[in-house]
Amino acid sequence: MKLLRYLTAATALLAGSARAAGNETIFREKIAPLLSKHCVSCHGAKGQSELSLTTFNEALHGGKRGPALVPGNSKSSLLVAYMRGDQSPRMPLGSTLDDAVWKEIASAVDSMKAEAVAARNPRLDWIFQKPATPAVPEVKRQDWVKNPIDAFVLAKLETKNMAPAARAGKRALLRRVYFNLIGLPPSPAEVEEFEADASADALEKVIDKLLGDERYGERWGRHWLDLVRFAESDGFAIDGERPTAWRYRDYVIRAFNKDKPYDEFIKEQLAGDEGMRGRRAAGEPSEGLLAVGFLRMGPWEADANFDNQLRLDFLNEAAGTTSQVFLGLTAGCARCHDHKYDPISQRDFYRLQAFFAATRIDDRPAAWVKAEDPVTMRRRMRQYEDELDEAGAKFKELEQTLRWKYAAANALKEGDKQIDEFQKALNDKKNATYTAEERSHYEALRDRTRQVTELLARHQPKAYAVAEVAPPDILEVAPTFVLGGGQLSAKGEQVEPGFLSAIAGKEEPAKLPFVGRYRSGRRTALADWIASPSNPLTARVMVNRIWQHHFGEGIVRTPSDFGLNGDRPSHPELLDWLAAQFVEKKWSLKAMHKLLLLSNTWQQATAHSEAARYSEADPDNRLLWRMNWLRLEGESIRDSILSVSGRLQPARGGPGVFFEISPDLAQGFSFFKWWPSEEKERLRRSVYHFQRRSVMNPMMEVFDGANMSESCARRGATTVPPQAFTLWNGELTHTEAKHFARRVIELAGPDPDRQVDRAFQLALSRAPEVAERTQARNLYAGRQPEDALARLGVVLFNLNEFVYLE
Amino acid sequence: MNADILRRRFLYQSLTGAGSMALSSMLEGATAAKPHHEAKAKSCIFLTMLGGVSQMDTFDPKPALDKFDNTVMDWSKEKLTDQVGLFAKPRLILKSPYTFKKHGQCGRDVSDLFPHVAECVDDLAFVRSVQGENGNHPAAIFFMNTGHVLPGRPSVGAWTTFGLGTENQNLPGFVVLPDFRSLPFSGSQQWGAGFLPASFQGMMMRWKGEPILDLRPPEAVTKTDADDQLTLLRALNARHAKDNLTNPDLQARIDAYELAYRMQATVPGVLDVDKEDPRLREMYGLNDPVTESFGKRCLMARQLVEKGVRFVQLYTPAQSWDSHTDLIGGHTKNARETDRPIAALLKDLKQRGLLDSTLVVWIGEFGRTPDNLAEQREKPGRDHNTKAMTMWFAGGGVKGGALVGTTDELGWKAVEQIYSMRDVHATILHLMGLNHVKLTYYHGGRNMRLTDTAGVVIKEVLS
Repeated sequence: MKLLRYLTAATALLAGSARAAGNETIFREKIAPLLSKHCVSCHGAKGQSELSLTTFNEALHGGKRGPALVPGNSKSSLLVAYMRGDQSPRMPLGSTLDDAVWKEIASAVDSMKAEAVAARNPRLDWIFQKPATPAVPEVKRQDWVKNPIDAFVLAKLETKNMAPAARAGKRALLRRVYFNLIGLPPSPAEVEEFEADASADALEKVIDKLLGDERYGERWGRHWLDLVRFAESDGFAIDGERPTAWRYRDYVIRAFNKDKPYDEFIKEQLAGDEGMRGRRAAGEPSEGLLAVGFLRMGPWEADANFDNQLRLDFLNEAAGTTSQVFLGLTAGCARCHDHKYDPISQRDFYRLQAFFAATRIDDRPAAWVKAEDPVTMRRRMRQYEDELDEAGAKFKELEQTLRWKYAAANALKEGDKQIDEFQKALNDKKNATYTAEERSHYEALRDRTRQVTELLARHQPKAYAVAEVAPPDILEVAPTFVLGGGQLSAKGEQVEPGFLSAIAGKEEPAKLPFVGRYRSGRRTALADWIASPSNPLTARVMVNRIWQHHFGEGIVRTPSDFGLNGDRPSHPELLDWLAAQFVEKKWSLKAMHKLLLLSNTWQQATAHSEAARYSEADPDNRLLWRMNWLRLEGESIRDSILSVSGRLQPARGGPGVFFEISPDLAQGFSFFKWWPSEEKERLRRSVYHFQRRSVMNPMMEVFDGANMSESCARRGATTVPPQAFTLWNGELTHTEAKHFARRVIELAGPDPDRQVDRAFQLALSRAPEVAERTQARNLYAGRQPEDALARLGVVLFNLNEFVYLE
Repeated sequence: MNADILRRRFLYQSLTGAGSMALSSMLEGATAAKPHHEAKAKSCIFLTMLGGVSQMDTFDPKPALDKFDNTVMDWSKEKLTDQVGLFAKPRLILKSPYTFKKHGQCGRDVSDLFPHVAECVDDLAFVRSVQGENGNHPAAIFFMNTGHVLPGRPSVGAWTTFGLGTENQNLPGFVVLPDFRSLPFSGSQQWGAGFLPASFQGMMMRWKGEPILDLRPPEAVTKTDADDQLTLLRALNARHAKDNLTNPDLQARIDAYELAYRMQATVPGVLDVDKEDPRLREMYGLNDPVTESFGKRCLMARQLVEKGVRFVQLYTPAQSWDSHTDLIGGHTKNARETDRPIAALLKDLKQRGLLDSTLVVWIGEFGRTPDNLAEQREKPGRDHNTKAMTMWFAGGGVKGGALVGTTDELGWKAVEQIYSMRDVHATILHLMGLNHVKLTYYHGGRNMRLTDTAGVVIKEVLS
């Protein structure tokens, strides 16, 4: 059945995409009357099994079990299969149908012309139409409207006779802005300054300050890294390192800090290496090369048995992720078959994949960019080269000595092959040839050599990138085929690169620009099409992502699936208005942040006087009658603890930091060793942690960290006991609580009340209430102040108030 | 109701009332209120053989392999869907290097790889005809665990716990015991809760050192310190929650700390392997470094089900059974590591009267082929095979000594009583008292099931 459907689709697609006008007539004249007599009482308005059969489009669209009718193929048409009794229960349910009826329907179906594009569910039409700029609605409470966002939100609320929540308190707002934009809490001084500033634009000033702060890029870069499944290792069994992948991470952080226009950001990541584009990027020729690392971020089975399969996996992954990340469509689902829900044919998927057909993976030389501090990088590279020479020589020397010792012990002479077995004797702890000291010396030198080799690799001026293989280097770009069931063995029709037909409205091959010799221009064509104001999805998908990170939920709550299986937008007009704004503001993210954060909608409190009643009507707060609660991500929790304890190291960029992991976990790796970085390094922000697919930082793992295998559009916010274990008992909490205690004493002096006040201000941006102070003071009984404050630190880091943003 | 709010509400309820005390109220209004029918087993121990065990070298003897050894197998008529490249090259049939004997009253065939399990065959129901859908490890393991080839779906352990809750409010309902030498692909996603509330996800425990990471505070923190901290935490969180009623997660988080606190006290007591009889420890193979890892985890599994944990899943190291080459080396090693412990687990459960209420499942992600690449003849192995796999059930509700399904002459394809992985899922749920069609959770626009739109209970294995 599946195979048949696929064959039909493939042959049908050859016929072109235009809907055969005759089919509808055939349906109306020959099929509809029979259906209306036998089927429509259940499969009409009643929609049994989600199937309605009153129109041709409905039959094409089908119901719960898939399309009911496949034009030109009665055998694949479920409608006929059920009536004929091939599928159970036989239809019409409970009555016996004269065979002539289904035969007549079958022959009518067979007389239809095969159709290419699946019937599109009318619910989806909006996403394939370019957003118009909707008019800002009129509202009764004009005074609440600070900018048009508020008008869109309020208009909906007013139709339901609901009112928005009051404005959040100043402290709540400030914490919200800080965590939203830089992922860290404000200092007590910053809180004080803001609370003292009574001017109307007090918040705007803070927003401007934070948007200019480099920590903004670290925060928002992390969101993007989630989306592009960023990792610094291959995954799979070996999980080998990608020593210069960190440069892509820094490229992303820079792009956010520079407020690189989003269209440019897209183009660089898809085709930054093609033609002039790479060199144009702000006078930094390497940026484009670093950017295309995006295409290679997926997992890579380095020991795969089959190169062809590996290549196919790469192409599929790149195409699928591109579609999800930039277009919010799950085109990857159409790899094996036509998309079950969205109008993306299997052929469409392979046409999309064909844009990458000339792309090969390549670690390319890429000079250091200014922000990477070329002088330091070069100095370190030379230093590691020297160290490696030295360590390598020492290691060889030692090996030679140990070899001779083995030879002497076993009465072997030079040239005896057996001498090479000295390694075995070394590894065998029971073997008496060597002392424990010799063994540990040997291991230390071997490890040092390996470690310096790794360090050196991380300091090479190379980009984890892709390159083109195109004429005139080769005769032609490798052809792309539709693959039956996604299998290499089932090559079908050959296809040319082309844009998703549901968006482009046609199935013609894309026009490829000339971007220079040895380059196909394919990815540039794709990038230009995606990063175009006329693409109906690009801007919408991105503004929805920005919205989600500020509000906790998107306007579409499935940010990487705008298709039928995804969520419907709660405020479609607002989404379109924002998309238009985004383009108008030259794809500036910072402009969008300001717009959103300065709205009254965002500045609402999380509480509402009518909360009980409103929760009944709108339990999910889809109408935004209050602000959503935000749970900090693992990164923010960890970074906040370090920030509050005063130990967060501000150093930016560079190779990843190796955090500490438990010894039994460390033993689980067969193919690499895990050497934690020095403490000062380890105290840097979590975004700089080395992202090894098989080794997640324990804090991120329990707090719903991004799974690095696939694009992660939305972090979970689960509550499970292991979080309590990590945060309540873990090393980080207890170590930092001690530093926190010392810092508090240093800032507050010897008075316990002042100490407690300071501790609350640092951790929660507020002074304790009287009762809270008294309770906290209980910790001083029988303890030195420093110890009491360390206990208090543990408690503060674990409070709901610490991890949830009001 | 929106799935997400349901999820949140559910989570809150499940954390506050994870005990038998509030089990019914916890599940009130949810699709899975209580067992759908009388359960035969209260707990399940799922023994996962990662990499794929060769059926014709363990439990499905194929004498014809001797006859056709070193001859070419005809693949021309088969539509191959996986590892196409492997089948494009010359291949030769490989006879089994192991000897089979009949065991038990049922006269079941077991090769000399599993001498200890062979002693238990009268308690086992073998299915020799399970077929999979995907021949790649990561996808197949996901399928085995979640009924879906991609990550993101709830695992069978999560579904079971979701359906039945836990019997011990001081322990998680679903515990995973991996081998830390090499964790399964995608790690915790294999035992994740997917779209089910997070409280149904498996909790990983370690077999060396503390069973749970950070179960206890650092040593310098005294009991008084810990108690004082908790007193203050409770007070401040309670004060905060009072003002912030729009966030149900606040209460869930308070409860999570309480559960964690209780587990701190109960877990070490539950998992005290040292207190077990030395002879029993010996039986599980704890004194032998080869069997220690799997043996200790089998013993932990028994202790956990004894204390009311609903679902315990063990894993061999990632890819351990994946013998494309050197079948003898790989399979002998893996069988040695697991044979004794598994037999000990079965006997121990039986001796304690627990086998009647515990379902034990032994399974891998797929079977292996009768032949392999001619170029790898020096140390031959076998490749992935989704067309036939042998697995077994034992314990509560299982007809010991049953044999289901037949494969063809060479053992490459199931030909009679063919079952799928979904049928295995349906059977597990059935024995645990759940109807796989009724156990649903609304997500992404439809009522999701572990068995999706398929699955039948393998009736022949039911007692």
